[in-house]
Amino acid sequence: MKRWQLAAALAGFVLSLMVPLVVTSDYQLQVLFRIYLFAALGLAWNLVGGYAGQLSLGHAAYFGAGAYGLALFTRLGFPMWAVLAMLVLLAMLFALLIGGVSFRLRGPYFALATIAFAEVVHAAAKNLPSVTGGDVGVQVPALFHTHVNRSFYLCAVVLTAVTTAVTVLISRSRFGYYLMAIREDQDTALAVGVNASRVKLYALLLSAGFTALAGALYGSLFLFIVPDQVLSIDISNEIAIVAMLGGAGTLAGPMVGAAVLESASEIFKSVFQEAHLLIYGLLLIVVVLFLPEGIVGSVEGMLRKRKR
Amino acid sequence: MAGRPRGGMRRPGSGAGGRHRVDFYTSLQAVVNGLLTGGLYALVGMGMALIFGVMRIVNFAHGAFMMLGMYAAYVLFLDGHLNPYVSFPIVALVMYAVGHVTYMGLLRPIHGQSDFMQILLTLGIGLALTDGIQLVFGADYHQINFPLLSKNIHLGTHITVNAPWVVSFGIALVVGAGLYFFVMRTMIGRAARAIAQNRNAAPLMGIHLHRVQAFWFGLGVAAAAVAGALLLPVFYLYPGVGDQFTLKAFVMVVLGGMESIVGAAMAGLLLGVVESLTSLYWGNEWALLVDFVIFILVLSLRPSGIFGRQKA
Amino acid sequence: MKHILARVLLPAVALSVVLAGCKSGGEQSNTFRIGVVTSLTGSAAAFGQAHKNGYTVAVEELNAKGGVLGKKIELVYYDDQSKPDQAVQGVTKLVDQDHVPIILGAYSSENTRAIVPVVTQKQVPLIIPTAVADNVVQTGSPWVFRICAGSGSFAASTLDFLKNNGDPRTMAIVYENTNFGQSNDKSMREEATAAGVKIVDEEAYQASSPDYKALLQRVKAKNPEVIYFASYLLDATTLMRQAAEVGLNPKYYTSAGTGFAAAEFPTKDKGAGAYAEYTFSVSQWLPTAKWKGSKEFDEAFTKLTGAHPAYHAMEAYAALLVAVAAIQKAGNAQPAGIRDALKAVDLPETPFGPIKFDEHGQNAHPLLITQILDGQYKVVWPKAAAEAEPVIPAPAWNKRKGL
Repeated sequence: MKRWQLAAALAGFVLSLMVPLVVTSDYQLQVLFRIYLFAALGLAWNLVGGYAGQLSLGHAAYFGAGAYGLALFTRLGFPMWAVLAMLVLLAMLFALLIGGVSFRLRGPYFALATIAFAEVVHAAAKNLPSVTGGDVGVQVPALFHTHVNRSFYLCAVVLTAVTTAVTVLISRSRFGYYLMAIREDQDTALAVGVNASRVKLYALLLSAGFTALAGALYGSLFLFIVPDQVLSIDISNEIAIVAMLGGAGTLAGPMVGAAVLESASEIFKSVFQEAHLLIYGLLLIVVVLFLPEGIVGSVEGMLRKRKR
Repeated sequence: MAGRPRGGMRRPGSGAGGRHRVDFYTSLQAVVNGLLTGGLYALVGMGMALIFGVMRIVNFAHGAFMMLGMYAAYVLFLDGHLNPYVSFPIVALVMYAVGHVTYMGLLRPIHGQSDFMQILLTLGIGLALTDGIQLVFGADYHQINFPLLSKNIHLGTHITVNAPWVVSFGIALVVGAGLYFFVMRTMIGRAARAIAQNRNAAPLMGIHLHRVQAFWFGLGVAAAAVAGALLLPVFYLYPGVGDQFTLKAFVMVVLGGMESIVGAAMAGLLLGVVESLTSLYWGNEWALLVDFVIFILVLSLRPSGIFGRQKA
Repeated sequence: MKHILARVLLPAVALSVVLAGCKSGGEQSNTFRIGVVTSLTGSAAAFGQAHKNGYTVAVEELNAKGGVLGKKIELVYYDDQSKPDQAVQGVTKLVDQDHVPIILGAYSSENTRAIVPVVTQKQVPLIIPTAVADNVVQTGSPWVFRICAGSGSFAASTLDFLKNNGDPRTMAIVYENTNFGQSNDKSMREEATAAGVKIVDEEAYQASSPDYKALLQRVKAKNPEVIYFASYLLDATTLMRQAAEVGLNPKYYTSAGTGFAAAEFPTKDKGAGAYAEYTFSVSQWLPTAKWKGSKEFDEAFTKLTGAHPAYHAMEAYAALLVAVAAIQKAGNAQPAGIRDALKAVDLPETPFGPIKFDEHGQNAHPLLITQILDGQYKVVWPKAAAEAEPVIPAPAWNKRKGL
């Protein structure tokens, strides 16, 4: 990686960390938290969706595993580091099961399978109140007691940085090339000896782990979760949309996607009130029609054309 | 019997709602009810199969189109005094046009793009339609009422069926048969099947790709809309009513095997019966879960679907 | 290149967008702002609208009398879209951006439970108009105040009525699979068992299903004397219609209010019509209630919307009345002062009955039991407030006329 690119990335990271010095409003910090959290989620999703080309629409299963894992494992009395490790493992276990079945399928079938699995987890959480509290909900321990919103925001920035770093490392590794080979043409990749199932599964395990950490952060911010909040299909859709809108398979895509989507959502809510979902839907349509590679993808495409 | 845990499934809450002993006729009643509900599901699923099979579009707006059909039927009832069992052909025509225009205007331009973008697009359409309807009609729910709704038909001493469900089943059957006829026997049906088999070769054989696809999309949307119209008398209307049916339609399409509309129809009936029996034996809250569990089982054991022949 | 975009541009973009998009609140000092979180869109939208209409009637009335602390009242609404995390975000925005000293809301038990930790953390008083789940007032937070009765009271009132009107011994509970439903199921199960009534069946259901017939058949097989429903309006309608189809004939159809107490429930067009007849319900309020100001509210509301109010609208109305009374008493716009004023509130005669909060923030709102007779809600218990004799048992479906 070129030195100036690394410097720029670090500068961006430091800038982001310094934001709370300027922004002190809890509300604005929460919005920024959401932006960075979904950027991290989009990057995690990208490992499977962008680089491997497998459209997962059931990432809520891992997100919820993280949030519920935090709540339930803490209740069992484990120390925080163990709890975090366990919730990541829980999400990876889900990924193993889900991937094991779903990766045998191609294209839209894979997507539908991921939806189904996520809905199973969702329904199970609702219908087993003795384990998860059902719809009555369960309390999530607060990870921070002072300067709450600022701390969560900083955590989200760190998570985003880590997932970015992981993505960069992977994209330059052999593992990354295998992923992209599978995305371009799985049959050819198999023919040259790439163990497609294993590679896809590893990508999903990584993706699930990071998603779970994001879920745990999210749950802890709200101090209280119900299945509809962290396991719903809306979450899965939002994660995928953030990445796809920004540009699946690009590095900057999820971050741009998260910024645009979350800001647009907030602005629409205060300006349009009851019509904001309509505007949101129209926005999606417009971007798809006119920016089919996602925002970053289209920008990169334009820049590439200029260079010629 | 009641309250004893079955296999690995833990019963939520107290033991009072455990497994029930049910006699034969109660089960039969549940099967009959399930088939009647399944008839409507089947129609929604067939619509999705038409769209998915030919165009490989995962139509996230399917439920929204069904909802539009319901609103169309509602307006026809209020202003035209036509009950849905009579007005459904009008609904079908109107919604066919909506589907056709949607394809031409929004889906055709991104033809050839990645699956991702198509999904995003249909998601956006679904959201826009749902919220748009709410702006026009309000978030409040509506229902309609006419004398037939309270009629119950008794088959023997043990089975009772609610008349409107029987009528809607009958209409769904007719419409479904019509769709099958279209697919199997008409030129345009053959063209659609050709596109489904090999999209790139079809134009070489003189098939006008977009014209056929627009037609099929319109047809698929119309099927969902008719299902909505038929559902209106026995349910109620609100902007989000279609969401649960989008998911069910996905399940049916996969269960039924890629583009097989007969498969999707059978899957719809199966889903209706399974949900009903699950409600009876284990409780209503497990019914939706069972849909997805079956879905997963089929995907892992027989990905071509229970009724399908194509490769997954 | 991408990395620059990502790491440097993004914070700048995000920041500027967020700052630009957020209107800085609190500039107008000539109105008194009160925050409201409710569900204006989403699955609970119809009830959110009822809230809004109730609040509107209250604001007009109060502003006509001079507002509060010499200023006109301005309500700042946040639509939680019937989602708990949006409700939380709403509270944060209302407190941090709009600087409201008090919040009213939310609508549902789920959303309300979600915002309790947040108002506690931000130290802003919350008045709950309609959420009945018990857990919303059991967190120990000193900032939470609920004017309506909770699910525990629902169960107790119903059992009290049953004991004195036939004393049935078996009951089945049918409830929605949400915080609201599960809470009512738990309360009734505990109270009934303590009162010696055997719970022979508990059925949870997924809301908005088209078909509950199998569930109702399970209940029928257990042959309970009483059925207790915890349902919202749409499911209440479906359940009663299908109960007739299935031939389910307990002696008593009772319910935890809500859907079974909605103004639309006995109507043919928006409810169960004739199928609602003879059902009992706990009621938080009716337009015919004998409290001072009830009738006037009913008239004002009907004039505003063209329809009679259900109790959700009244609860919103009353919540604002109480809020304003407390603010007036506190004499300033400090959240802590308003909280203390709320703790000391003692209003024996409001249109919603007497209002006084106990140490948990719960108002001991008296409940009525109503029965639908001839398409109208009639109070049948307690005897002192009754306007009609209860009809027990409910006539069998196949013996009813006019269905």
